[in-house]
Amino acid sequence: MSILTSGIKSSTAMAYRSSKRIWRNLSLMGRTATVILIILAVMALFAPQLTWHPPDASSGPALAPPGNTHLLGTDDLGYDLWSMICFGARISLLVGLGTALLAGLGGAFLGIAAAFRGGWLERIIMRLVDITIVLPDLPVMIILAAFFGPSVRNIIIVLVLFSWAGPARLIRSQALMLKEQPYIKMAAHYGGNFFYLLKRHFFPELLPLLTVSMIRLAGMAVITEASLSFLGLGDPTSRSWGLIINHAVSFSGIYFTPFWKWWLLYPWLFLTLLVVSLALVGRETERLADPRL
Amino acid sequence: MKSRLLEYLITFIVIITINFALPRIMPGDPFLQLYSAGGETTVSYTEEQKEYFISYYGLDRPAGIQYFSYLGGLLKGDLGFSYYFKDSVASMIFRRLPWTLLLITAATGLSLVTGVLLGSFAAWRRGQRSEQALYLFMVTISEIPAFLVGLVLLVLLAAGAGLFPLAGAITHFSRFNTTWAQILDILHHAALPVLTLAVARAGGFFLLVRNSLGTVLTRDYMRTARAKGLPEKRIRYRHALRNALLPLVTRTAMQMGAIVGGAVLVENVFAYPGLGRLMYEAVFVRDYPLLQGIFLVLAVAVLAANLLADILYRKLDPRIVSAFKAADSPAVKNRSGN
Repeated sequence: MSILTSGIKSSTAMAYRSSKRIWRNLSLMGRTATVILIILAVMALFAPQLTWHPPDASSGPALAPPGNTHLLGTDDLGYDLWSMICFGARISLLVGLGTALLAGLGGAFLGIAAAFRGGWLERIIMRLVDITIVLPDLPVMIILAAFFGPSVRNIIIVLVLFSWAGPARLIRSQALMLKEQPYIKMAAHYGGNFFYLLKRHFFPELLPLLTVSMIRLAGMAVITEASLSFLGLGDPTSRSWGLIINHAVSFSGIYFTPFWKWWLLYPWLFLTLLVVSLALVGRETERLADPRL
Repeated sequence: MKSRLLEYLITFIVIITINFALPRIMPGDPFLQLYSAGGETTVSYTEEQKEYFISYYGLDRPAGIQYFSYLGGLLKGDLGFSYYFKDSVASMIFRRLPWTLLLITAATGLSLVTGVLLGSFAAWRRGQRSEQALYLFMVTISEIPAFLVGLVLLVLLAAGAGLFPLAGAITHFSRFNTTWAQILDILHHAALPVLTLAVARAGGFFLLVRNSLGTVLTRDYMRTARAKGLPEKRIRYRHALRNALLPLVTRTAMQMGAIVGGAVLVENVFAYPGLGRLMYEAVFVRDYPLLQGIFLVLAVAVLAANLLADILYRKLDPRIVSAFKAADSPAVKNRSGN
C-alpha cells in the first residue's frame, strides 16, 4: 500500500503543478462542471457549518415551503431539506470517492499484474473481468443489498466488487504495450522487480488513464447508490439524496400537491448536477489525457 | 468461439452459485432477517412457512446435495414459492415479464431510430454550429440516469399537463369495446416509461453513429463512390450508413444489462407492473425466493443477449475475426513497443 500512497503523493504534487495548465485547457462546460463539483464538495465537507437545523430530526412545521428559516423547505416530518441535502452530499462523496479509489487502484493493480506476469495469473484475472463485466449491475446490487442489509459500507463493498473490472481491462491493455517499451525492459534486465517497476514506471505512466477511469467510476457509483436508495435499499440511518427522492415519491399524491416543487425538485437537482458534472469532467479529462481522441 | 462459449457457461454457473450461496452466507440467520424484516412493513412467518423455508433450502442436508437438488429444481423450471404472495415464483415472473419486454423492446427501437437519425445528421454536418449544439445536448442528456429523466417527465407531462397516466400499464376496472381501444390504452400507459428509457439510451447510440460514420466518411471507398459520380443519396445510405451501422448491432445487445437496470428503475418511477416493479415489491416485503427468481431471469436474459452479440459480431463482419486474430498475435502487440 505504501507504494501506492507514495505514488499518490508524488502525483498530487504533479497534479498541483499542472492544474493551472489543465484549467487553461478546459472548455467552458468543463470549467462550469469543475466549479459545480467544488461547490458540492464544499457543501459536503462543511455541512455542519453551512446548516442550522439537524438533518435527522424534525425542526419545523411539516411540508413548509422554502423560506428564510428553512432555505429549501421541509419534508413531511418537518426535516429541513437544506440540511438533509448538505449531509446527503457527504454520502455521495464518500460512495463516489471510496469506490473510485478502491476499485480504480485495485483494478489497476490487477491489470498491471496480469499484463506483467502473464500466464495463469493473467488468465484467471481476465476471466474474472469478463464474468464481472457481463453480469447486469443493478439486479446484482439489488439482490446483494437486500441480503446483506443496506449500509453505506456494504454499498461501497458491493460497488467495488462489481466495478474493478473496467479499469483492470483498460489498464492491462495499456500495460501490455508499456511492458515492451525498451526503457522498462532495460529496468527489468537490471533487476528491477515487479513492485519497483510498478512504482517507478507503470503507475506514473498510467496515472492519466487511471484518473479518467476513476472519475467515471465515481459517477457510476454515485448513480448506483442513488438508484439503490431510490428503490428503498439505501442506508436508512443516513439521508442520501436518493432516499429523499424515495420518500418524496412514496408520499401519496405528491404530484397533485405543490410539495414536489421543493421536496422532490431539490434532491433531484443536486443529484443531476453532480452526475452530469462528473461525466463532463470525465470527458474533459479524457480529452486532455489522450489528445489523440 | 469455443472459449467464449465456455466463458458464458462459467458465468452462468457463477450466477447460479451466487443465487445458491446468498441465503446461506448472509449475515445472521435467514429467519432472523425474515422476522426482523426491515422497511416499513413488519412481516411475520408461521411455523408452517418456516418449515417450508427449511425444506426449500434443504438446510438440514449437506451443502453439496443442496446444490445439486437446487440445480435439478432449476432445470425443471422450479424457481421456488413466494410465501408472501402465496404463488409460484415462476408463474409470477411469467405474468410480469411481457410488460418489461414491451418496455425494453420499444425503448431500444425508439432510441436506435433516434440515435441513427441524429447521429447521421451530426456526421454530415460535422463542425457546424447546429451540430455542436446537438452534440452538447445529447452528451449531457445521455449522462442523466433514466430514473431522474423519468421523474421529470412524470412531473411535467403526466402530473402537470395531464397528458399521460401517472401509473400502471392499463386502466383498471374498465372495459374496452374493441381490441384497438385496449391497445391504445396500453400504448398510452407505456409511452412515458418508453420515452424515458429511450432518452437515456439514445445519447450513446448517437455518439456511436456519429463517430463510426465520421470514420467511414474518410475511407477510400467513399472517395471511389464519389469519383464514380454516384448520387449523394446512394453514397450516404448504401455506402456510408450501412457500413457505419455494424457496431450498432453489437452495441445494442451488449447494452442489454444497462437497459435492464434502467427498466427496473423506470418501472418503479411509473409504477409499471413489470419485473422491476415486482423486484421492488419483493424487496419491500423481503420475499427472498421471489427476489432470487427475478434476479436469475434478468441475469440469464442479459447473458443471452451478450452471447447473441458475440455471435452476431462474427457473423456480420468477417473482418473483425481476422482483426482479432491479428491483435492476439505477438507481432502486433510488440509493434508499438519497438
